[in-house]
Amino acid sequence: MTGPISTLSQIELGEIWVYLTGSPLLSLILTLAAYQVGLMIYERANKNPFANPVAIAIAIVIATISVIGLPYAKYFEGAQFIHFLLGTATVALAVPIYRGWQLFRQRAAILSAALIIGGLGSIFSAIGLAQLIGLPAELTLPFFAKSVTAPIAMGVAENIGASPTLTAVYAVTTGITGAIIARYILDWLRIRAWWQRGFAIGVAAHGIGTSRAFSVSAEAGAFASIGMGLHGILGAMLIPWLS
Amino acid sequence: MIRGLVFILLFQGMGEIISKALSLPIPGPVIGMVLLLSVLVIRDQLDPDVERVAGAFTQNLGLLFIPAAVGVVMFIPALRVHGLSIAAILLASVALSIAITAITLRLLTPPSSTDHAAPSPESEE
Repeated sequence: MTGPISTLSQIELGEIWVYLTGSPLLSLILTLAAYQVGLMIYERANKNPFANPVAIAIAIVIATISVIGLPYAKYFEGAQFIHFLLGTATVALAVPIYRGWQLFRQRAAILSAALIIGGLGSIFSAIGLAQLIGLPAELTLPFFAKSVTAPIAMGVAENIGASPTLTAVYAVTTGITGAIIARYILDWLRIRAWWQRGFAIGVAAHGIGTSRAFSVSAEAGAFASIGMGLHGILGAMLIPWLS
Repeated sequence: MIRGLVFILLFQGMGEIISKALSLPIPGPVIGMVLLLSVLVIRDQLDPDVERVAGAFTQNLGLLFIPAAVGVVMFIPALRVHGLSIAAILLASVALSIAITAITLRLLTPPSSTDHAAPSPESEE
């Protein structure tokens, strides 16, 4: 008796499922909802860098597409509308740099020198270690842009033949690690001035480090923001030459 | 809102055109960003609509790289073998770059300069 009905509903559910997995809607909802959950957990954890909202969201999306059996390529097809906005967001980074411009100009020479030394140091230390250990090229190339803010890093990665995916993952890991360890390193080195602490975090740990710096001190945050933005510009110009 | 978005998209478009036309290794959006920054610095004023749109993007940067980062599932076999080395390199490299950036700043700052808001590090949290 229930046979035909359940078959019918199975067909309908199946069709709805086929429709959903074929439309961008599922990927868009999944990505945005996962990010929302990540943000909620991050807020609950008092913005502890360990509870990074992006890392949480990535884990949720990976778990979900594995469970429902949605291939990554299919997921990305839908989520590419979010991905496309990376370029637009990169252009928008001009605004925070402009806000910090007066602060930058007061100490332009010192900040530029530190930016170049920090930027080169972040590249050469990672690439040098990777070559020392003998990592495959596929896993080494993404180190080039890992200290650059992810939207710019991924654009640079495409130009140098590195995987944008691994570059994003390395960049997020760098940001989280930097946000967690910065205060211990800076305390140990007895770096006291907020502007110096902030700028160092922004250069080395880009957006995640910057939001950490803002949660500690507005001055540190402003300088972190400048460090992150300028490192983005420097990295985009320098890395294609170095790689 | 729309006006600000159009403004930013136009700079992205200009950046892409310049990058492609001159076959530069620099991504188009970065060129667009430098152009927009130049305009903002020269005019020294910020349209509130552009500011609002830019704020929405920069405050949610993390959302935008989720789709690409999820692709890490494709690298799980490689990461099983090398994941620990990669994590160690990332940790060492970020620690070093924080340290050398901060040390450079301190060495180059004239001792007479007043470092406002320089409390003891313990007050950070």
